[in-house]
Amino acid sequence: METNEVGRHIHGSFDKALDALKEDVLLMATLTERNLNKAMNGLFKRDDDLCTAVIADDQEIDQLEVQVDKDGVAVMIRFQPVARDLRQVISAMKVSGNLERVADQAVNIARRARKLNHAPALEKLNLLEPMYWEALTIFKDSVRAYGDGEIDLALSLKARDKKLDDFDGKIGQEVTDGMAREPDKIKSYMNLIFIARHLERVGDHAKNIGEDAIYAANAEDIRHRTQAAV
Amino acid sequence: MEVTMIDNPVQNPQREQRAPAPAAIQPEEPPAFQVENLSVWYGKKQALFDVTTNIPSKTITAIIGPSGCGKSTFLRCLNRMHELVPSSRTEGSVRLFGQDLHARDTDASIVRRRVGMVFQKSNPFPTMSIGENVIVGLRLNGVRNRAILNERMEKALRMAALWDEVKNDLNRPGMSLSGGQQQRLCIARAVAVEPEVLLMDEPASALDPIATMKIEELTQQLKANYTIVIVTHNMQQASRVSDKTMFFYMGKLIEYGETKQMFFQPAEKKTEDYITGRFG
Repeated sequence: METNEVGRHIHGSFDKALDALKEDVLLMATLTERNLNKAMNGLFKRDDDLCTAVIADDQEIDQLEVQVDKDGVAVMIRFQPVARDLRQVISAMKVSGNLERVADQAVNIARRARKLNHAPALEKLNLLEPMYWEALTIFKDSVRAYGDGEIDLALSLKARDKKLDDFDGKIGQEVTDGMAREPDKIKSYMNLIFIARHLERVGDHAKNIGEDAIYAANAEDIRHRTQAAV
Repeated sequence: MEVTMIDNPVQNPQREQRAPAPAAIQPEEPPAFQVENLSVWYGKKQALFDVTTNIPSKTITAIIGPSGCGKSTFLRCLNRMHELVPSSRTEGSVRLFGQDLHARDTDASIVRRRVGMVFQKSNPFPTMSIGENVIVGLRLNGVRNRAILNERMEKALRMAALWDEVKNDLNRPGMSLSGGQQQRLCIARAVAVEPEVLLMDEPASALDPIATMKIEELTQQLKANYTIVIVTHNMQQASRVSDKTMFFYMGKLIEYGETKQMFFQPAEKKTEDYITGRFG
């Protein structure tokens, strides 16, 4: 009673159910990161097999999302959580939704990559590399913020997501210039623009995950607030 | 004793950012109870420590806490029922709309007429009919006019949501009713004397879920006219029925605030540990 650490429940199965819920979300995050990685490698290495694997593996992530929702509802029915526990269940369900959408972005990237792999290589493809690393870092940090309850890290994501928006804008500009110079490659350039857009969406979802992490830990809803207000 | 008031925007800045203030500023209702530095002893054992708080009128306040935390003692101090324990002793004051209930010149029977009580176990008078059970308090207070007694009986039974079930059986023994009906009969008996406050000490703990829901629904209707203070061990019940919640631990009032906030983000770790089942 004297420390600030979160103790275990008297009801041990409540702890187990909450732990299992979080483990499933973190497993989803691992699979999602792996799929995003594979999709971008499929693009950079012009490897169709990697891209195809991303599309196939997405089903597992979809199933996990359904499972997390099911388990979250089961915890609510069985234990009627309140306070921190209630927020933990709600945030697990919301984070899993965002992870599923990040995985969908990986699938979209894989589909675009397969199209690009079958067309002549684009020099401007390398514009995506720094954006990808930024998106991947933001995504990983959002998962860490959620998993470990790191509020400061979660708070940093909103500003960092802006960086991805800037990347998206710059790439759009450069690719448009490329289109003007090489009109025969317009389709490929369009795919490049879409991939940048998908990476930018990854940042949006990572920011959402950060918001969910803050909600779970601090009961604070920072959605739709300006960076200054946050 | 520092009590955390989580509905105080100064202490909880998040709340300040919520919905805009209503267009017309409502004058603040005076609190029903003003409790100041209340301490209670049973013999040498201190059961309550320096409790200071206000209970707003026409709201439902739930009191939660583990067994032996002082919640029932606190409730009983609100109508001087604690005095029925011979070794009890109090310090501090309890005021009901300004009147010091514990003052030497305050009549305990008048206090208990103003502050009615419903107990955990329903206790209709076994030798009396349903109707007589309801009006017994009025008779004790000298009301003899049959028309008035009948009128008040019907009114009380309606307020207790029991009239439709018993209107044709008013002469049957009170004990012939089901457990849930008996409890509502006790509520009718309590409201018949038109108190200002209803205290409820675990009123539904011995009832099945349907009867419990009826009692809970009844409290929502009664709060239009009464200040209700309810002791409950059932956390879901506290969150369902009450506007405000008090958490007691080891005789101390640890936290008091809006129920929604208490069950979403309690300010005190002890409260959070208790309501989430991490206690002990």
